[in-house]
Amino acid sequence: MHHLVKARWALAAFTALFLIFLYGPFVVMGILSFQQGPEGGPQFPIIEWSTYWYEHVVGIAPASRIAPLPVGEALIRSLTLAFATMIVSTILGTMTAQAFRTKFKGSGFVFYLVVLGMMVPGVLLGLGMSLVAHQFGIDRNWWSTAFVLHVVYTFPFAFLVMLAIFNRFDSSVEEASLALGVSPRRTFQKVTFPIIFPGILSAMLFAFTLSYDEFPRTLFTGGSEVTMPLAIYGTFSVEIHPNLFAFGVLTTLFSFALLSVYAILMGLSARRLSVRSTGIQEDAA
Amino acid sequence: MLELVDFGKSYDGVNAIQNVSFNVNEDEYLTLLGPSGSGKTVLLRLIAGLDRPDTGRIILNGQDITTMPTHLRGIGFVQQKYALFPHMSVRQNISFGLINHHSSPIRDEKKVNYLCDEMLDIVGLSGLADRGVGQISGGQKQRVSLARTLVTKPKLCLLDEPLGALDANLRERMTVELRDIRTTLGVSFIHVTGNEDEALGMGDRMIVLDKGCVIQIEEPNKLFAMPASVKVARHVNSYNILSGSTENNSFVFADYKLPMAAYAKSAAFYVVGIDKVTIEKVGSVKRKAKDITSFEAKFVDAEFMGSRVVYQFELADGQIFEVERHLSRETPVDYKAGEVRCLSWKAADVLAFASDGGLINENAKIRGTV
Repeated sequence: MHHLVKARWALAAFTALFLIFLYGPFVVMGILSFQQGPEGGPQFPIIEWSTYWYEHVVGIAPASRIAPLPVGEALIRSLTLAFATMIVSTILGTMTAQAFRTKFKGSGFVFYLVVLGMMVPGVLLGLGMSLVAHQFGIDRNWWSTAFVLHVVYTFPFAFLVMLAIFNRFDSSVEEASLALGVSPRRTFQKVTFPIIFPGILSAMLFAFTLSYDEFPRTLFTGGSEVTMPLAIYGTFSVEIHPNLFAFGVLTTLFSFALLSVYAILMGLSARRLSVRSTGIQEDAA
Repeated sequence: MLELVDFGKSYDGVNAIQNVSFNVNEDEYLTLLGPSGSGKTVLLRLIAGLDRPDTGRIILNGQDITTMPTHLRGIGFVQQKYALFPHMSVRQNISFGLINHHSSPIRDEKKVNYLCDEMLDIVGLSGLADRGVGQISGGQKQRVSLARTLVTKPKLCLLDEPLGALDANLRERMTVELRDIRTTLGVSFIHVTGNEDEALGMGDRMIVLDKGCVIQIEEPNKLFAMPASVKVARHVNSYNILSGSTENNSFVFADYKLPMAAYAKSAAFYVVGIDKVTIEKVGSVKRKAKDITSFEAKFVDAEFMGSRVVYQFELADGQIFEVERHLSRETPVDYKAGEVRCLSWKAADVLAFASDGGLINENAKIRGTV
């Protein structure tokens, strides 16, 4: 019994350390973002607490020698790209997973073909894509070549999420709907979709976040108009000011907001399901 | 109304269903008895169009629907595990087929609600319309599943072990209710079950399915009184089946020699209903009585079933011989384990089957061998 208690303490300590490593960088970034400005640098100690760098990011700080972060347009590009990628990948992923519900010839091979997109190193894929684009005389843009690669990258994730969802899905409710004289299309709309909706949300979240901070593929195929991760990287080569940290905190908060929306939607749909029934698969009572 | 012609289906080279042909008449309650693995559910799925048969055709009211997709067939299917829509209330489940029908959806909300309420009333669920399907009991789910199908007025309704998941009490009530509901609506039912009492008690006609083949189609009382083959007798589960051979008008098996009617010269199975046997003290039966057959057996155990008792006796070769006595006719007797009793029955109650399993008819028409 005694050594069990010890083991528990050891595990607790390990978990605590893990959490510190996980959130330490963010906490440091958060603290430094409140550095005094515009003279204060991106290091300790804090000269004086201030919100100067936040004002600087938003563009309401008095003019100084420090140039504003070139992230405004990049952020909009990144969000647009992530949104479009999310929609396309989730639709493709759902359709592919739907196809995999029935065994077909060569399904194993196709499965690996699909999953390959997330296995191939991004740098190589980006390089290859830029070579192909060059060969065919296609301009490289964030909304064309990079978009295609983002879909190639995120689609397998959406697919795997949906595959897991369909694995747990009891198709007898679809058959019940068909037997009631409801067309397959409407059956999907009214029966399948509402039941797999939590899964679709997860697939969307995956696709969005993966695309949102994608770096190597975009680097090679994004062209001259950079996305946010590239823009931030670009500022490193000049000089780092705490405005970058303030921006980091803001985007993280944005991500949290996104996650909260996801959690709320999940909660709502889970509650709807659990009120109506005790689970997706009804056990014989 | 519905006609199956030479239906067959195999999965991975194993025949699930073969050469199945039968008709379903208008306004008929057809039961289909088969043990698990006999292809019952496969057959229903084929009829509903959820699977395609490898061979054969299916004709509904004169139209060949073999390749028609499920939603166009107009055949209702009540699944074994209800398959209620988990994200909908009872009312939404029942009105789903009306609102979303592929060709004639009902858009008038009042009409939908009216039809819904009417059906809730028929299945005895009035007042539960706004419950979620997780908030009702198994029997109620079963009825929602039934109501959801019947409200769309299918030409034919398939029921896959509809009472299988219910407790005994509910099962008995639903047995009566199902028949009443069917009579009220005039829809034909195909009710699939592994329970012989259900199949015998509920069907206007019953089909016995064995390893994917239909082995008899008959009215239950006729089928029960005269199974067409030993297999059917086994499925009905109310017969003692002794296997042996016939020599000089007597049936020989293990150490026993039982008189056998003259017409059954080639009998290989000696079959007597478990409810046809009486239990008496050794020596009290007149062995010489011409129309009575008897032998002695060791009592093993008794199973009390409420209105009846099933006694089990062991024969010389170790086979179990069952005797069912109804308590409405006599009070139960306690026997001691190992006690030897004399079992007797009328010679006229004996059924003889040939070695291929076919019934040997008293009119000398030997089934199967002719």
